[in-house]
Amino acid sequence: MPLLLATHALGTRVELALDEPDSPGLRAVGEEAMAEIHLWHERLSYFQPESFLSFINRSAGHRRVSLDEDLWSLLDLCQRVHTASAGAFDPTVAGLLGRAGLHAAVPASIHDEPADTGWTALVELDEAERTIQFRQRGVRLDLGGVAKGFALDRASETLLRHGVHSAVLHAGTSSVVVLGPAPRTLGVRAGGSRYTLTLRQACLSVSAPRGRVVGDVTHIMDPRIGSSARCVDTALVVGAIGSGAEADAWSTALVALNDRPLAMPEPLRSAIHDGRTWSVHRIQLEHAPEAA
Amino acid sequence: MTDTTRRDFLIQSAGALTVMALMPTIPALARQQGEPLGVALIGAGRQGRAILGELAKLEGFRVVGVCDSDESRLNSGLRRVQGAKGFADHRAMLDGLPEAKAVIIATPTHLHRPIAVDALAAGRHVYCEAPLAHTMEDCRAIAAAAKAAPALVFASGLEARSNPIYKLARSFFRSDAVRDPVAIEAQHFQKTSWRFPAADASRDNEVNWRLDPEVSLGLPGEHGVHQFDVAMWFTDRLPVAVGGAGSIRLHDDGRKMADTTYNTLRFDNNLFMHHQASLANSFGGRSETLRGSNAAIKLAWTAAWMFKEADAPTQGWEVYANRQQFHNEEGITLIADATKLASQGKLKEGVGLPNPPLYYALSDFLKSVRENKPATTTAADGLRATVVAIHAAKAVAAGAEQAIDPAMYEV
Repeated sequence: MPLLLATHALGTRVELALDEPDSPGLRAVGEEAMAEIHLWHERLSYFQPESFLSFINRSAGHRRVSLDEDLWSLLDLCQRVHTASAGAFDPTVAGLLGRAGLHAAVPASIHDEPADTGWTALVELDEAERTIQFRQRGVRLDLGGVAKGFALDRASETLLRHGVHSAVLHAGTSSVVVLGPAPRTLGVRAGGSRYTLTLRQACLSVSAPRGRVVGDVTHIMDPRIGSSARCVDTALVVGAIGSGAEADAWSTALVALNDRPLAMPEPLRSAIHDGRTWSVHRIQLEHAPEAA
Repeated sequence: MTDTTRRDFLIQSAGALTVMALMPTIPALARQQGEPLGVALIGAGRQGRAILGELAKLEGFRVVGVCDSDESRLNSGLRRVQGAKGFADHRAMLDGLPEAKAVIIATPTHLHRPIAVDALAAGRHVYCEAPLAHTMEDCRAIAAAAKAAPALVFASGLEARSNPIYKLARSFFRSDAVRDPVAIEAQHFQKTSWRFPAADASRDNEVNWRLDPEVSLGLPGEHGVHQFDVAMWFTDRLPVAVGGAGSIRLHDDGRKMADTTYNTLRFDNNLFMHHQASLANSFGGRSETLRGSNAAIKLAWTAAWMFKEADAPTQGWEVYANRQQFHNEEGITLIADATKLASQGKLKEGVGLPNPPLYYALSDFLKSVRENKPATTTAADGLRATVVAIHAAKAVAAGAEQAIDPAMYEV
């Protein structure tokens, strides 16, 4: 019987299914992967005041904050996707989300009033010094659009480093990693219907504005216009193992863009459902009958 | 409560409520003139990497070296700092890295002694994770080495003593607000096998030292030590005996170490502390509850609450206190800097800590080194908590109470 591990992290349920029978050694590897998920939850949580992201949000408006290699790679990725998506992906959207009541659980800073949105104008990454600084006080980064994929990438690395090559790992079903050559069929709901896609040795990210709604405001905002992204029902991005964070960032961007831009990296496959039809790029989706 | 104690409390609590600012005051304490202080980490496992994460928030210090005998762990540690040198052996690091003025020891417990003693002999300030050691002999050797080097700072990694919320709670515990101590309960629950994967099978025993009764104090040692210390620190009392029991409730994988333990500490004034720990169920996590005749205080690492008895006198500050409901009980949230936040209408924003407790412990250590002052948590504090942990582990293994010779608490 396969070994299933589960935990609550990253604001959702995270599950790891390992394709081998339970053994103390395999469980130890699975727990190490889950510990990696928790580590990144604790570092990247917008809602926990003691997370490193909260430290950045409190401090980077006042001084440069040094980043380790992993955090640098994540924030560098955010900058690249922000640029390539012409601003459709923007972690500084936290200010907008706060004003819309979607970040009600997070108190405003004791010291600073919330700043506007706009990565390019507000965030300065120094590659030589590996630091981040905000050009204005009150800027808040919300890495919710990439944190799940990034944590799953790190957990996948842990599994592979310890010789586990066949597993499925997901965070709230919206970020999924399929390790190994065996095909896995996954279900996706879009436009009121159910579809399936088959993955092997890949990661998947699903974004849908309907995920969380407060009043008439959806949890995915279009940072370019400062209001809810409404044109897309569901966006999927599929990438190679290790590109979960990038897939997450792009699936968020596609919800705002409603179209695959030329600047999107070719290795990432995509599908966008506008509520009626799919617009797909190298992804095969099957319409699936509803379960009885 | 004596008049002197009450007066001290009023002074302390007034200070705690009006002066203690959590952010960004503490990083500023580390912001000093001159060259950044060189710090090295020895032991880059999970705790070591957490330490590097917290050091990254502090200014005025530079991590110049990382040491671990395991290449994979060493590389993971080095990923977290820029420009640090890597070492596989602590002696090579002490010899080859003179710029490391302070070392932080986060290796397995049974390896602390040679590293701590060597580091002190080499003139380095030391922060050593708790428990200090797995045997009385090693523990006393470390404490003696620290005592023999009075010019150097030796900090024991008992984080509660640096935790601003715990410090505030202690001032309440020692006041009329809680009054006479009645009983103490503590728990540490998590669901995990406590087994770690090894890079190769030959290192499995080395990596899984926590499961080896020869070198590990088990749950009372690795987790309980911090909670025993909270009780000793809050009450200023020492246990005279520890009872214990333990069994394997879930992880029956050939291990000999209990995955579920119970300890009862009997203090010299007949106050009792009950401690439970398990790796088989996570409900409730980690907490300590200290009951007094006027109120109980519940501590949960980054938060604390006070639950008052109906007949306890009302304090003036309760008018603006933040409250939280726990089933049928209402807890008053203990908030550092509460007076200032309340005056700004931002009391709720002060709930919880803006940094993990480890951050404050490291900050205190580095501040002591910078200012050439004794550590917040000394080697003697570490010795006393470790003595209790060692006896608690023995009690679990034997299933019988272990008396503690008061001489054991002396360096």
